[in-house]
Amino acid sequence: MMPTRAVGWRRLRFRFDWTLTLATCAVTTLGLVNLWSAVHDRQASIFSVQVSWLGLGVAVFLGVATLDYRTISRYGYVLHGAGVALLLGVLLFGKMVGGGRRWFELGPFHVQPSELMQLLTSIALGKYLNDSPVLEGRTWRHLAIPVLIVSVPALLIAKQPDFGTAFLLLLIFFTIMLTARLKLKTLAAIVGLATLAAFPIYQHLLHEYQRKRVESFFNPNSEGAYQTRQALNAIGSGRFLGKGFLHGTQIRLRHFPALWTDFPFAVWAEEWGFVGCFAILLAYLILVLWILKIAGDARDRFGATVCVGVAAMLFWHVFINEGMVSGVLPVVGVTLPLVSYGGSSILTTAAALGLVMNVSVRRFSY
Amino acid sequence: MEIAGQDAELPEIRRRSRYFALVVLVAFGGIAGRLFYLQVVQGDAFFRVTSDSIIHTDLLPAVRGQIRDRKGKVLATVRPSYNVFVTPRLLTADGFARLRTVLGMNGDEAMDVWERIQNGEAVTAQTSSGARVAERPVLLAEDISREAMAAIETGVDLPGVKIVSAPRRSYPYGILAAHVLGFMNEISAEELRAKKGEGYRAGDLVGRTGIERQWDGYLRGRAGFQKIVVDRRDLPKTDIHDIVDGPSAQVAIAGNNVVLTLDVDTQRFTERALRNVSAAGAVVLDVDSGRILAMASKPSFDPNEMSGHLTPEAEQRLLADRYHPLHDKTLAETYYPGSTFKPVSAIAALEDRLITPDDKTKCHGSFEIARRRFKCTKTHLTVNLYDAIVQSCNVYFYELGARPGMMDRLAKYGADLGLGAPTGLGLNGEEGGFLPTEDWYRAQKRENPKAEGFQIGQALNAVIGQGSTRVTLLQMATLYAAIANGGKLWLPQIVERVESPDGQVLEAFAPRVRRELSVAPESLAIVRQALVGVVNEPKGTAFKVRSKDIEVAGKTGTAQVHGRHTENGGYEAGDHAWFVGFAPAGRPRIALAVLVEHGGHGGDVAAPVAMEIIHNYFDTVAPADREAPRLGLPRRHGPRAPAPEPTTAEAEP
Repeated sequence: MMPTRAVGWRRLRFRFDWTLTLATCAVTTLGLVNLWSAVHDRQASIFSVQVSWLGLGVAVFLGVATLDYRTISRYGYVLHGAGVALLLGVLLFGKMVGGGRRWFELGPFHVQPSELMQLLTSIALGKYLNDSPVLEGRTWRHLAIPVLIVSVPALLIAKQPDFGTAFLLLLIFFTIMLTARLKLKTLAAIVGLATLAAFPIYQHLLHEYQRKRVESFFNPNSEGAYQTRQALNAIGSGRFLGKGFLHGTQIRLRHFPALWTDFPFAVWAEEWGFVGCFAILLAYLILVLWILKIAGDARDRFGATVCVGVAAMLFWHVFINEGMVSGVLPVVGVTLPLVSYGGSSILTTAAALGLVMNVSVRRFSY
Repeated sequence: MEIAGQDAELPEIRRRSRYFALVVLVAFGGIAGRLFYLQVVQGDAFFRVTSDSIIHTDLLPAVRGQIRDRKGKVLATVRPSYNVFVTPRLLTADGFARLRTVLGMNGDEAMDVWERIQNGEAVTAQTSSGARVAERPVLLAEDISREAMAAIETGVDLPGVKIVSAPRRSYPYGILAAHVLGFMNEISAEELRAKKGEGYRAGDLVGRTGIERQWDGYLRGRAGFQKIVVDRRDLPKTDIHDIVDGPSAQVAIAGNNVVLTLDVDTQRFTERALRNVSAAGAVVLDVDSGRILAMASKPSFDPNEMSGHLTPEAEQRLLADRYHPLHDKTLAETYYPGSTFKPVSAIAALEDRLITPDDKTKCHGSFEIARRRFKCTKTHLTVNLYDAIVQSCNVYFYELGARPGMMDRLAKYGADLGLGAPTGLGLNGEEGGFLPTEDWYRAQKRENPKAEGFQIGQALNAVIGQGSTRVTLLQMATLYAAIANGGKLWLPQIVERVESPDGQVLEAFAPRVRRELSVAPESLAIVRQALVGVVNEPKGTAFKVRSKDIEVAGKTGTAQVHGRHTENGGYEAGDHAWFVGFAPAGRPRIALAVLVEHGGHGGDVAAPVAMEIIHNYFDTVAPADREAPRLGLPRRHGPRAPAPEPTTAEAEP
């Protein structure tokens, strides 16, 4: 183990994964172009803040990529524990915004640990799966620790309350477990139980505003559907070729809450049309499929699991965000990775992609 | 350290991640499909929705063209008016109370208006579509007085109150020629749908009757617009223009002016001549062109009121009036022509050689046929055609009516003379009247066994203008004009030309002959001579109103009407009084038809009205035209006795 750690930089130089990097850069560039359009005429400072985050993101990416991921694996549970501690801290000391505690306020920045927790959960799951191989598929009895790993942060996030992110965490968990040979029968049983549990949760645990969001999704004329309606108008009116860079009208002339955090895709769709949307989807697709390819080529279960986790994280973010923006899913605060404004999201994604790069450059070192 | 190949799980994870990749592919495909639906399939619809909410179109109304008389006097124009708008959110109860005093609203009105304001009901259609209701100004009062405007403008402490000037249609002569001019009101939703693409918009006023309706396309001009891009607070954004499809502004084009053949002076004394009767109509037209000089229908209405401030009570009053003020009696109503039809009967008989002018009939006061007795007005003894027309002897005409096929002859010559079909003026839903035929009566019987079918009695009625024969005043005026001018049946004309707002003639309409009559000039001459006799023979039915200095020709009529119950319980049974004629007889210039509903005897009631119009016309409008060679009376009557002083109708009991 010692020699591989010493040659970290060299490996990175020679085995650098250009596909991963180019796909990431493509998405990031499109995101920056889009952010400029969204903010240039009202809050241009947001753009420079985002550029700073991205700069920091590059550093995080390179840092995580350089460190041997087996070192990271070794501290998997510790990292997970630190993440859980952060979540607890948020619940106790976080900034109260809109009836929930989701952020730490660090000077001018909001730090949202729930984003980071998605990555840390993948790492912890990777460590568990790496340490306890099975011959046959995994069933109920192999689920005890993984469930513990995911349920503690999921419950803490749900308590904030941020059901969107908690649900996302569960999706990532199931994607990882399924890939890590969870038996389909077991999954079916879990899904069955979850469906049964969903109704009382919806009735008793969800807040009023959350129920309203869900209801507004099924009743597009209600007050809460305003955002969705505006987003649909913006997307649809982009037509095939879009209105052109900085020529979007809906996003600029209408009132549009959460434009650069949750709804940047509406800006993109209006200005670049279907062609632009297709391009950005293609970039994300290449990125996710490439990460899955790296997962398949990984030399150990930890690497493979973590890559699947990162792929799941990116995929579910993109899918849920674009689903909600285009009106097929309810509005939940899920960001579009590398496009949405926000440090927590950028840094988490950078770390995740750094980890993937790490696995990629070390795939041949035995 | 693990050894490659020893980890049995890795290939399985690789396999499963490929399935996951497949799931990713399908999910992204789904999103792409959804976006394709939104942006490509539904894209244009979304684009329209967003443009509409962002682009605010300000209408620039076109100035409606004027309607003028033949001398250029303005009968309909546009004047500035001032409307009061209030923004409900800004208006206080106190401010409203003060406004109410200034505008002189009574309690009920004020209550209605206040409720309307509170409910934020948008009364005007011209407000921005994007504004929220409470921000939207509500029309509070239209066309306020100058005093009220001054009071509001000096009261600077009335927040949320705005005075907006708006062009308003105005008819400077009030009720004068109201039926010809017509009135305007707001376009209905159905019309808006039906006239899609003709540039009409909600809230537009359109001509409802008269020239305003018939010539709306010429008068209205074309509204312009200005498209403004607005932001999310509906404030104009001047830095964005390129999202407007097509032109962003278009100037309004003023409507054209319509110049009528009508003469305001003639119209005025024509209406004044009807001052003593309740319901009547009169048409005066130029014999040499068919141009209408005056067309009056009484009672009338004020188009200013109809086009704007018509209160529900006023509307109710107009609709309930037993004399139907909104109905144009000159051409939208048909009447029995009565004895004024006799020249048509005479022409039919002369043309078909049934009689010569010298054939005589003995009148004993009635005519018996098929065991029925048809009464005459009195006992005329021996009469020829001339006497029969002059004295309006029915028996002479009954004898004609009893001849085989007379009804169909009347229908034929009547149609030739322009009866039984609209004259073609087109205004106000012109009626065509009716000329019955024997076949028509027989068809009636076939349809309804209880009907009489054709009987000789119907021909006897038809020959004196009763029975089923119906005519309009306009038809009679053109018919007598054709008799006067030697056989030119004119297409009556009301619009002389259309001018652009700066006075250029865009279209000038020449008089149009509807038909050259096939009637022999001799027959017309015989009828003309008889019509002179009606007014100038001592035995003539209009002798009492004859004029010393203008030789007038014409025919009186006293059309019997079947009594009818009126809406308010009364009973109208009096005869309609007619006079149709022309003057001067030797060189006819104008023809006119006067009908007084239930007025009584034509010679007593309608003829004086006609004479007053003729006198006024040749005294004031066309004094030069009164000079004409006299036709005089037929020689066989010997030297004319010196005519006694003419008497006027007013002197009659």
